[in-house]
Amino acid sequence: MKKALIKIWGDVVDAKELILSIIIISVTTMGLFLLAPKSDKLPIELFFGLGGAVIGFIITVILFKPKRIIKKEKK
Amino acid sequence: MDFQMIIWMIVASLAAVVIFTVIGFIPGTDETSVLLPISLAVVLTGVSPNIVLTFFIASIVTLNITNLMPAALVGLPGGVMSSPMIEPAIYIKNEGRSAMIIKKMAAASLIGVVISIPVSLVLANLLIPLADVIRPFASYLFIIGAIFLSMISKNKILSILSIIPLAIMFQSLRHLYWGLDIVPADKNITVSFFLGITAGPLLFSLFSLLNKKNFNEQIVDGYNEIIIPKEDQEMTSMNPFKILTISERKFASIGALISNFFFVLSPVGLTILIGNTAGNRKKEPLEKATTSITTMSSVVQSTYLSGIIIPLLALGIPLSPVALGPGAALFNAPPVLNLDNNIHHLLSGFEFTIAVLLGSAIAMAISYFLIIKYARRITSLILRYVPHESVLGLFIAFVLLLSYMDGGVINIFGVLMIGLLSGSLNKLGVNYGVQFMSLYAAPLLVELLGKLG
Repeated sequence: MKKALIKIWGDVVDAKELILSIIIISVTTMGLFLLAPKSDKLPIELFFGLGGAVIGFIITVILFKPKRIIKKEKK
Repeated sequence: MDFQMIIWMIVASLAAVVIFTVIGFIPGTDETSVLLPISLAVVLTGVSPNIVLTFFIASIVTLNITNLMPAALVGLPGGVMSSPMIEPAIYIKNEGRSAMIIKKMAAASLIGVVISIPVSLVLANLLIPLADVIRPFASYLFIIGAIFLSMISKNKILSILSIIPLAIMFQSLRHLYWGLDIVPADKNITVSFFLGITAGPLLFSLFSLLNKKNFNEQIVDGYNEIIIPKEDQEMTSMNPFKILTISERKFASIGALISNFFFVLSPVGLTILIGNTAGNRKKEPLEKATTSITTMSSVVQSTYLSGIIIPLLALGIPLSPVALGPGAALFNAPPVLNLDNNIHHLLSGFEFTIAVLLGSAIAMAISYFLIIKYARRITSLILRYVPHESVLGLFIAFVLLLSYMDGGVINIFGVLMIGLLSGSLNKLGVNYGVQFMSLYAAPLLVELLGKLG
């Protein structure tokens, strides 16, 4: 699949990397959520899920680069 | 409340400031979908209600000011509340005045907090005697609210016509889950439905990409070019009175004051209404954009603060969109809190006031300083290192997680269904406010419809 840049939700993304990001973060989130020890009192499952989301987020931040060209305003 | 408790409340406020400063600067992080899970987690750890309330107030104050920054600097909404600011923000940016507007927005945000806290505490105290009278009519207020928000929206007829179908969709899912024994009969799924509405436009856009023709229409040639505005050299003062003009101060103050009285209405709806009304009083385009964006910055704070303070202190039942959405955990988070035993019942008026004052003062002081000094640098860092793909992925994963927690696998598809209908209605012009109100009005509305035979 060739690189397809698309505009969605106000910014530019690569379609393939977008799909990969959604898959990676969903898998880490739901994976850790389902692996969490069962508990009635503390929302351990929720913490694990949120932790998984953070891990997945960091993985995609490292893997993919923003499709933005940042320029400093000159005058 | 002893000295040690005060220290813990300060620690909680600082934690909230750190967490929500980072989240606030990330474009597209919806307020409800970040505030609710985090505050829910804090409540469920079982810490004292003083700490919970201080944490929550510090969270909303921080988020409501940091969320404005991506909007002002690069024209991307920080969250739902800043989406109405994109249009004036882009205009101001094109005029080369971004550095100026950040400071003005921070100062207006400060005005919003300073005005709405005393006003909403007073209003809440005035409402306490009326609480027993209002309580039976709470659900009627949501129906009136949905109709009212439709009447003041751009697409009145379309909005009014969509209220009942939306209500039927929400209730039919709830009844389906009850019927299948997926959720207990006393549980009313709200969190994930809320997220379905919020994620609607994104889900709808993502699904339309699966259509080849739509996909080709969205293709762009190159990267998004973003110009980070220069540091403002002219205005170095940190005094909010010097940063804002008399007229801007007036509109920000009046806006904050008025919005307190409408705490039962959608915050984003009120922000649009009050902000545009203020802007429309100005003829000159730059002045118009500046006035509406500063007024909105102030109103965002006051709608959130009054929306949580008034129902929580006066009634203990979630009678505002803020209380039902982002603040839901303070009212109802079994097994720690429930509708007969929540922050309202656990804190005295004095403890409540101290928690609100402490949380908002710490959050406002730090964020105000941070924004005025470093808004440019933080935004530039986030834009350079955080790809849009990660943010969208995170959002989808959040929706997935909370949908599954609320009602299992079937609810993932239930929320997808809500997202697709809400998203398409949103594209047609039915705003979030009308849709959220329809969600709250749904139980009574559907019950009344059923009685018609």
